[in-house]
Amino acid sequence: MSRLSLVVAGIDDTVPDVRRLVLAPADGGELPSYTPGSHLVLDVPSGPGRERALANAYSLVGESLHPSSYEIAVLRCDPRGGAAGGSAWVHALRTGDPVTATTPRSSFAPVQPATRHLLVAAGIGITPLVSHLRFHARWGREAELLYLHREGRGAFITEIDDLTDGSASCFHDRVSLLARLRERLLDQPIGTHLYTCGPTGFMDLVVAEAQAAGWPSSRVHLEHFGLDDLDPGEPFDVTVGEQCFEIASGVSLLEAMEKQGYAVPNLCRQGVCGECRLELGPATTGVWHRDLYLSDDDKAAGDCAMACVSRALPAADGRAHLEVLL
Amino acid sequence: MSATYSAEVCTTVSALDLVTGFPFPFPQETYRYSTNVEPAPGAVTTPAGQWGEAVVDVDSEYAQELAERAAILDRDPSRHAWLPHMDVACWDAMLCLMRELSLTRPDSMALTVLESGVRPRYHWRNDLLGIDHTFVLGDPSTLPDEPLAWIAAQVQEDIVLLDQRDGVLYGDAGVVTFAADWSFGFDVGMSFLEIHGPVPRLHGEGIITRAHEFLKRLQPGETYRRTNWTLTIGRRLDVSTELYPEWGPDRDAVLLLDDEAFGRDVHLRVEVQHLIRLPESGAVMFLIRTYLLPLVDLVQVEHWRVRTADVLEELPQDLADYKGVAKYRHRTAAWLRARGPAEGS
Amino acid sequence: MTSPVTASAPHPPHYTSVPDWTREPVVQPADPLGRVHTVIEVVGEDPAATAPVVAGWVAGLDGRDVRHRACPDTAAAVAALEADLVTAKVGHRVLVAGSADACLAVRAAGVRGGLADDEMAFGVVSVETRTVWCVHCSAATVAKLALDDVVACSGCERGLLVYPHVSRRTGRHLGFMVDAEEA
Repeated sequence: MSRLSLVVAGIDDTVPDVRRLVLAPADGGELPSYTPGSHLVLDVPSGPGRERALANAYSLVGESLHPSSYEIAVLRCDPRGGAAGGSAWVHALRTGDPVTATTPRSSFAPVQPATRHLLVAAGIGITPLVSHLRFHARWGREAELLYLHREGRGAFITEIDDLTDGSASCFHDRVSLLARLRERLLDQPIGTHLYTCGPTGFMDLVVAEAQAAGWPSSRVHLEHFGLDDLDPGEPFDVTVGEQCFEIASGVSLLEAMEKQGYAVPNLCRQGVCGECRLELGPATTGVWHRDLYLSDDDKAAGDCAMACVSRALPAADGRAHLEVLL
Repeated sequence: MSATYSAEVCTTVSALDLVTGFPFPFPQETYRYSTNVEPAPGAVTTPAGQWGEAVVDVDSEYAQELAERAAILDRDPSRHAWLPHMDVACWDAMLCLMRELSLTRPDSMALTVLESGVRPRYHWRNDLLGIDHTFVLGDPSTLPDEPLAWIAAQVQEDIVLLDQRDGVLYGDAGVVTFAADWSFGFDVGMSFLEIHGPVPRLHGEGIITRAHEFLKRLQPGETYRRTNWTLTIGRRLDVSTELYPEWGPDRDAVLLLDDEAFGRDVHLRVEVQHLIRLPESGAVMFLIRTYLLPLVDLVQVEHWRVRTADVLEELPQDLADYKGVAKYRHRTAAWLRARGPAEGS
Repeated sequence: MTSPVTASAPHPPHYTSVPDWTREPVVQPADPLGRVHTVIEVVGEDPAATAPVVAGWVAGLDGRDVRHRACPDTAAAVAALEADLVTAKVGHRVLVAGSADACLAVRAAGVRGGLADDEMAFGVVSVETRTVWCVHCSAATVAKLALDDVVACSGCERGLLVYPHVSRRTGRHLGFMVDAEEA
């Protein structure tokens, strides 16, 4: 995967706790165009409060065609509250600091045959939908936005106003957003698609409302920022070639393999990017996949797993084992 | 050209660049379907020269093949089709192909972004066709034709655009005038998997589902390629199912030809297929470039002569049937064998 | 996948363009999650066949907004669907009861009208009739046909092989000249 050398070219802290960063190519010139809804994976070096380097995904919010810079917006998350530290690092960056990142990756694009787009965002989940709105404005597509944010803390309010001609609806509490959503879900022409981004619990509510209104799953799209609060899981055994070792509860297969000296390619470490896919052998007792990357068919085949989040499921005799093929 | 082969040594039926740039498709002595994709572009050296340096190739047949495409579209407009939601993908494809053309021929083609932003404005120059034009993205009134039709008239490649939705790729737009025994007009709107439904062996071996998974994960800026091949009688680019009654009889008739005519008539047909994720629409662009080399030119390269004979002799019957070469592949192999190195160059 | 898999007749791959329900009659279940259901009954030659299919769906959707459209032929069924789709909201489902040939044609109208695969279900009562599109002259030929049969094209009179390949947009089978190689 190609990597980009960028520098921080602009910082905007106007909205409390949300930092907008402008990242320009270190050597000038143009950056690759990207698909609306794409994200950038930033390399976050290890440092104070971060035992290891991280790779954090952030949605791109600026102009997607022939960009001279990339723009992201990052919510401040306190490491003392359990955050991994990527956000704190972004909030400490200064103009001129170097940043490396992957080229943009797309996993939440607008559906082209949709005749209309209903967008539902909560908090910093607005970010991928801002680039959707830019697309819809460029190509004259019908779009409607419902946006939940704390009063005085809404990001992108001015842009959203411009991009939607003032038609976006903002809400400051979940109850009123859900009430409005319930109403709007019943009144969308058949070609409409629904997109939601926000905390997992919020998206679950949106999906439940859509299902209750009869929406089929092919019309409902979610942007996961990753899995929050993963169950630490039970211990299990792993064999890699001749070697056998145990994975403790709360330790990932990826971490354990790295500790044993295996170089497993990886990027997001949260079951999204697909880099750390491992092939599994027949001695595997079962796989608790937990990732957002593998297809249902892949998961059903049971011969692969994502090292960062997948764990062994026990067989009938209680033994939980993964046979990793390198 | 660092070739063991040159114009001074041999005379060929085809223009020299069609031999030196021929993408010989057999890395192994036997052929089976596989998910044979590799990153592109990248030059591949052959005994005659090299191919693969560019995604969009412009060779000495440029004017001839574009004229042929125009004539085919004129006779049968169903070779160009797009479903209404593919408008963005068509603009996207046009921009991408202009960029690739200007990389291939920087001396005579250039795409310049005059203004970026919400409605970018561009200047496009193609000296080979005398085009010098300014247009605005998304504004059809600034183009002389629909974007896909306009760019298809400037590249030798056939173009299929695949829309991705709900985890499936659909062939929803394209211009395909040089199809090898399939009907684009019939297939448009089908999923990638459905399009390949009738191909033998792909079924049980998971090849096509793996290719589909691979394509779905292709990211913008990533380009891959693969090759495919068959035999074609005559230098006939359009062997579409539509025209089967015209070219079908050749498969029997070719067996009646004497050896000299057989070697000039039978061509190894190679498709170089490029797969490109387009940024704005998220569509996958599938480019199919067809190269034809007659046996008389193929045997000028000893390795090509022997390898092609090996592959044709060993090819399983169901693949030979599907590729439509069953009737004359053994004669072709025998013809190649009979032209041993002593007789050749 | 609703049809049985037997060792003697391998199940076609799930990615063929030929739906299972055109090989043998299958009645797919109605989606209880739908809010409004258009049930299109293409009565055709055998009203006794479609009636129980419709009755089964309607009974299962008790209490929901079900709109039953009885249509004498495929053209009327397509027109009824197109009329419903003008005002349809997301949450709408379409159920079609009739011959496989009629179901393919109505499915094509649904696809053209923007319906997703998970918004349509089919109750097939017969699979004898197929529509074949001639790739050489574009004429359509309707006849009692199995896959891989040969039929005379109603337009150009060529003998067409009924290829196991069906268009989503038209519901027709691909037909091409079976003996083109015999000069």
